[in-house]
Amino acid sequence: MGLVDKAIAWGGRNSPWIIHFNAGACNGCDIEVVDALTPRFDLERLGILQQGSPRHADVLVVTGAVTLQTRERLKEIYDQMSTPKFVVAVGTCACSGGIFDGCYCVTGGVDAVIPVDAYIPGCAVRPEAIIHAVDALLKAKLPKAAGRLKKDKKAKPDRKEDAAHDGAGNDQ
Amino acid sequence: MLLDILKILLFPGFAFLAAYAFLLEYVDRKAYARMQNRVGPPWYQPLADFFKLLGKKVIIPRNAGKRTFAALPVVSLAAVATAYVSVPVWGRAAIVGYEGDLVVVLYLLSIPTICLFLAGFSSHDVYTIMGAFRTLTQMFAYEVPLFIAFLSPAVLAGTWSITGILAFYADRPLLALVNLPAFFIALLSAQSKLERAPFDAPEAETEIVGGALVEYSGRYLAFMHASAMCELAVVTSAIAALFLPVLTGFAAADFALYLIKTLALLLLLTLLRASVARIRMDQMLNFCWMVMTPMAIIQIVVNLFLRGGLGL
Repeated sequence: MGLVDKAIAWGGRNSPWIIHFNAGACNGCDIEVVDALTPRFDLERLGILQQGSPRHADVLVVTGAVTLQTRERLKEIYDQMSTPKFVVAVGTCACSGGIFDGCYCVTGGVDAVIPVDAYIPGCAVRPEAIIHAVDALLKAKLPKAAGRLKKDKKAKPDRKEDAAHDGAGNDQ
Repeated sequence: MLLDILKILLFPGFAFLAAYAFLLEYVDRKAYARMQNRVGPPWYQPLADFFKLLGKKVIIPRNAGKRTFAALPVVSLAAVATAYVSVPVWGRAAIVGYEGDLVVVLYLLSIPTICLFLAGFSSHDVYTIMGAFRTLTQMFAYEVPLFIAFLSPAVLAGTWSITGILAFYADRPLLALVNLPAFFIALLSAQSKLERAPFDAPEAETEIVGGALVEYSGRYLAFMHASAMCELAVVTSAIAALFLPVLTGFAAADFALYLIKTLALLLLLTLLRASVARIRMDQMLNFCWMVMTPMAIIQIVVNLFLRGGLGL
């Protein structure tokens, strides 16, 4: 790994910007995510900032079981994010569907729709668990991800998929 | 000649501006966090953000104007860096100082704002266009008091070069007190130029997601952020040179004073950002046109009469 790659991987580890998506949660986990961003826990210590736009974010934090209503939107938001990107499933419902699994309007856990990098079980999860998960995720995954991006540049395998979704959100 | 080029490229030119902009961003965010009773980011945070964004994939929306989209961050950063060359940093004189550079600096500083507007407009997204229109509307509101406030010390000093104005007031420090109202108007206009609270309606992340830069990603976003932070550095430097003319006569001591002055100005701007909520666009327009512009006009008229009365 060259110096530039190292610098980029170091930057990625120390500056995970998150975007929060509620896929059908009861709001319990959402409040814990917001709690993790408050002065008491102060996620900016770890360089974590909440972003409004998926294009700016590195980590998609999803709460709740994925309902039929949010399934397409969740996928669209995931596709709008630029690589390297990660997904954290926050709460038991996001991990597996929880008590809503098998419900007529529920697809299942987040991993039924998009690939998930970290699962945080709990009902509702504690803010400490969220912070620990995001931190551990970046430390474990990022060097690999930097290599993956480099390979992408050569082979460009996800070009087509990205092109299909690059205009997503512009049709309003 | 070679020395001048080195000065422009390294110190106190572009390289120093980049490093100083990172430092200012850190101080801004850290002070903001401390004012909110938080710990705040570590010192390398702006650097980490920058490197991370460099490594991320750039997505250009299908509907966006591709060349405009890619060129805007560079144009914006270049304009800000050029403006910095005419602001005194090391010692009394700027690297490139000439009669009228104050106006050039002011116009160069409005290029990043126009780039921001074009960035939003060329992204073809609901949120970015909303942010772009707000950016432009806000620009029409603050630009007038900003220009008048920056020009009133020049009117009194009788010169339109920032170096000349600094030298004039350094010799007559008491006269600088006359410009106190203009100083506060300049600070407030700078706050709205940099789109920081209470004038952050154009990027309002809670209502229009982040304004004009919503579609930007990867290194383009990194350069847009960098140009915003460099703009902060240049604006505070210009205000320090025009309104805080304390000089010692030794270049290194003047440089230390420059750092103290700009950091103090930044802390004032951060304090303002931390203590107020966002105001609406119409409130912003009213404030700029009904309060700041008349005050700035009174200031410039007073300065004109003072210049005549003192027989300078």
